[in-house]
Amino acid sequence: MKSFLSCYFLLILLCGLRPLAATDITSANQALASGHAAEALADYQSLLASPQFSKASAPELWYDCGLAQKKIGDPIAASLSFRRALLLDPTLAPARAELTSVLGSLGVTMNAGWQEQLLVKVHPELLILGGAILGWLGVFLLVIFLILGPRKPLFIALALTALILGHGVSIFGSFIDPRRVANNLGVITAKTAPTLRETPADSATAQGTATPGSLITILSRNGSWWYVDDGSGHLGWIPATTITPLLPFHEGS
Amino acid sequence: MIGRVKKFMKIRPRFFLSLLAAALCWQGAGITSVRAADVSVSASLSQPVVTSGEMAELQVKVTGADRADVPQQIAVDGLQIRLTGQSTQVQMVNFKVSSSVVYSYVVMPLKTGTFTIPTIPIRTSAGMARTSPLSFTVSDGAGGGNAGGPPPLQAQSQRANPGMPGFAPPQQQPQPQPRQRDAEPDPDHIAFGEINCQRKTLYVGEMVPVEIRYYFDARYSAQVRSGVNFGSEGIIVERFPEPKESRVERDGVLYNVLSFHTLLSAVQPGSLDLSGAKLETQIQMPGPLPPGFNDPVFQQLLGGRAGFNQTRDVTVNTAPLHLEVLSLPKEGRPASFAGAVGQFDIDANVANPKPAPGDPVNMTVKIAGKGNFTSMSAPQLTDVEGWRSYPPGEKFEGHNEMSFAGVKTFDFTLIAQQLRHQSPGAEFSYFDPNAKKYVTLTTAPIPLEASPGASSTPPVAATSPTPPPQQASTPLPALAGTSKGEIPLSVSSLRSWQTPMQRSEFFVASVSLFVAALSLGGILHFFKIQSEGGTPSSRRRRRTADLWSMLNSGSLDAGATYETALEYAELVPADEEKRGEIVAKLTERRDVLKYGIGGSAPLAESERNRLMETLRGLSMKSSKS
Repeated sequence: MKSFLSCYFLLILLCGLRPLAATDITSANQALASGHAAEALADYQSLLASPQFSKASAPELWYDCGLAQKKIGDPIAASLSFRRALLLDPTLAPARAELTSVLGSLGVTMNAGWQEQLLVKVHPELLILGGAILGWLGVFLLVIFLILGPRKPLFIALALTALILGHGVSIFGSFIDPRRVANNLGVITAKTAPTLRETPADSATAQGTATPGSLITILSRNGSWWYVDDGSGHLGWIPATTITPLLPFHEGS
Repeated sequence: MIGRVKKFMKIRPRFFLSLLAAALCWQGAGITSVRAADVSVSASLSQPVVTSGEMAELQVKVTGADRADVPQQIAVDGLQIRLTGQSTQVQMVNFKVSSSVVYSYVVMPLKTGTFTIPTIPIRTSAGMARTSPLSFTVSDGAGGGNAGGPPPLQAQSQRANPGMPGFAPPQQQPQPQPRQRDAEPDPDHIAFGEINCQRKTLYVGEMVPVEIRYYFDARYSAQVRSGVNFGSEGIIVERFPEPKESRVERDGVLYNVLSFHTLLSAVQPGSLDLSGAKLETQIQMPGPLPPGFNDPVFQQLLGGRAGFNQTRDVTVNTAPLHLEVLSLPKEGRPASFAGAVGQFDIDANVANPKPAPGDPVNMTVKIAGKGNFTSMSAPQLTDVEGWRSYPPGEKFEGHNEMSFAGVKTFDFTLIAQQLRHQSPGAEFSYFDPNAKKYVTLTTAPIPLEASPGASSTPPVAATSPTPPPQQASTPLPALAGTSKGEIPLSVSSLRSWQTPMQRSEFFVASVSLFVAALSLGGILHFFKIQSEGGTPSSRRRRRTADLWSMLNSGSLDAGATYETALEYAELVPADEEKRGEIVAKLTERRDVLKYGIGGSAPLAESERNRLMETLRGLSMKSSKS
């Protein structure tokens, strides 16, 4: 499995992704390891803001950024960085442990559904690509068996199974991939818990509060007010300035 | 000249509007900058010196800011300082309106000594501001807490409100009487207040519900101008929720009633005399009639004296409140007591009893009941050997608007440093004011299976025990070098923010694979045909051509010629009826030659020509048809 993953990542790297600014990352890591968290954080943020990381990013870099934010005493920003690291790589165990720790300090509990438990073990991209490869292998085998033979029922059944199972796993992996719905997710990054209001106005009736660091679903956007679901059944309008979208290239939208 | 100006203004109205807008913007910016410059913050302590077991109140005042973010807790080793509420004051002096917000913190000493409360960073709409550091001393109870300190609270309270002009002095509860409509109204009978405190004797830190009611004569229009002004040094009053409105009749007069419910708690023992709760209102009251309008006919025409009403600013006040505050007993105080007063119950559970090696265990401890939840500390963990824990997250769910009854949840994150088969226990102590004694609640360790990760450091429990809950306000533990899991990672790969199915590469690859599968099928099919000598029709075409050339060559004997002709007639595309007829004739002739005489002799030229003509006609007819 490890060799397969290594080949897979190598393939991704070879498939036209630009080389990383390895020197900058190394120096930032050294600064963080030597206790200069603020300096390291500035380097990480500079790296993450570069165009190189706009469409694709490194989960380890977000994890390192979260560590620096946690160390300078900003657990809310750290939780956002750890969430982004896990969005890119749900199997990154250190990021999951740190996120649990940070959310614990903020009084936020992590979602522990079956999807989360599965994602800890298997990267959804592996399911999607592995399933697609198996599915297409089934397609080609079916073509070969039907045309060249042998047209034995067992072989045809095996090819059909590979086709259906492979593409099914691929679709399932896409279904559980947290990036699929990340467009509408955000994290409460206000220092104080914003009030959920019935209508988009400061004077509207309060419906409850959203805990800083918690993950919310953005249901609608109306100027500077967003209609959100805090995940515990509470819906309401909160100022957009209190939320940071989970996808970094949506910040400021 | 004037004509030119008028003409210019007529032609360029947009120019003047823009000029006006720019001027207004400039003026607005000027006002903003002035307002930003006027923001000020200050901090003060109700008691700079207290005895062990007493609490003090820290007030942070922010003046001139639209909005301010203050910390929920202030970290001082040996003190627990928590935000408990806020109040807003609005003043208008010489038509200049200024507002200030006072944030109240309760300061609970955890040990004796002299402490410095650091500067408190406050983020305001005008930028960051900081208060000055304050000195705070906690002396041993035996020596007396007021030595060298300010006078007792009662004396302070009496000095605090020397009687502001315009405010009515403390008064007895008014007893409104039915009055004549045209008599000069008395504001004290038109509006008055009542305060109802369930307990007059309470313990330090105990939360006591308070109800404040304001009665307004329903015949007069009243408008509330500010929030309830109630409080004094030495007590903490929770923020007032929205009032409830009702109507009651007293002594034949109908009153509109505003009811405010809140909670108060005392921070220091002693006698407390609280001035009444004030509410600033404006009431429309009948004014004096001008000369000549005293005629009853006029008054009837004008609907009584409504036409001569005047608005009066009225401060509605309640009776003062006297409280006796008792100190918490020192006898029998448990070590785990951290200031909780009320009646509580405890429960604990573990969300993931079988975490993966190195993964954290999420342990939740719930404290339910009634009491001072806002200043409640986390329970202490027991049996923490082999565990590393972080300060817990807190969440409170109140049963009503006031934070008096509800459930407070503490989420502990625990990481096993050794193989552990049970979680730590939890211990929580509180003082029950009804039973007048301390109560300690504990939870038993919960069975689980937790083991350290492969990268964990050796067991550290013996050298770095879990920080006690009293240090919950301290920052998170330092990261560097504590465990491998907190070491920065080097970047190994780039990942997309989109799922593969959302990416164009995946779509292109899928289409390409589909085309490749089709191509593969075609190629395989082609080679299969090639290996079989072509398609049946092409094979038939080739065979008929061979047969025709054999017939044409004349090298075959008679029997073989008819054999070949018969095969040709069966293969060549032709009308089936004609083919059947010809095949029958050819079969008959072949059988004669085959089983009779002359089958091995060459076929006569004339017969061969007829045969070829017949076959050609068959194939021609087939091509025509």
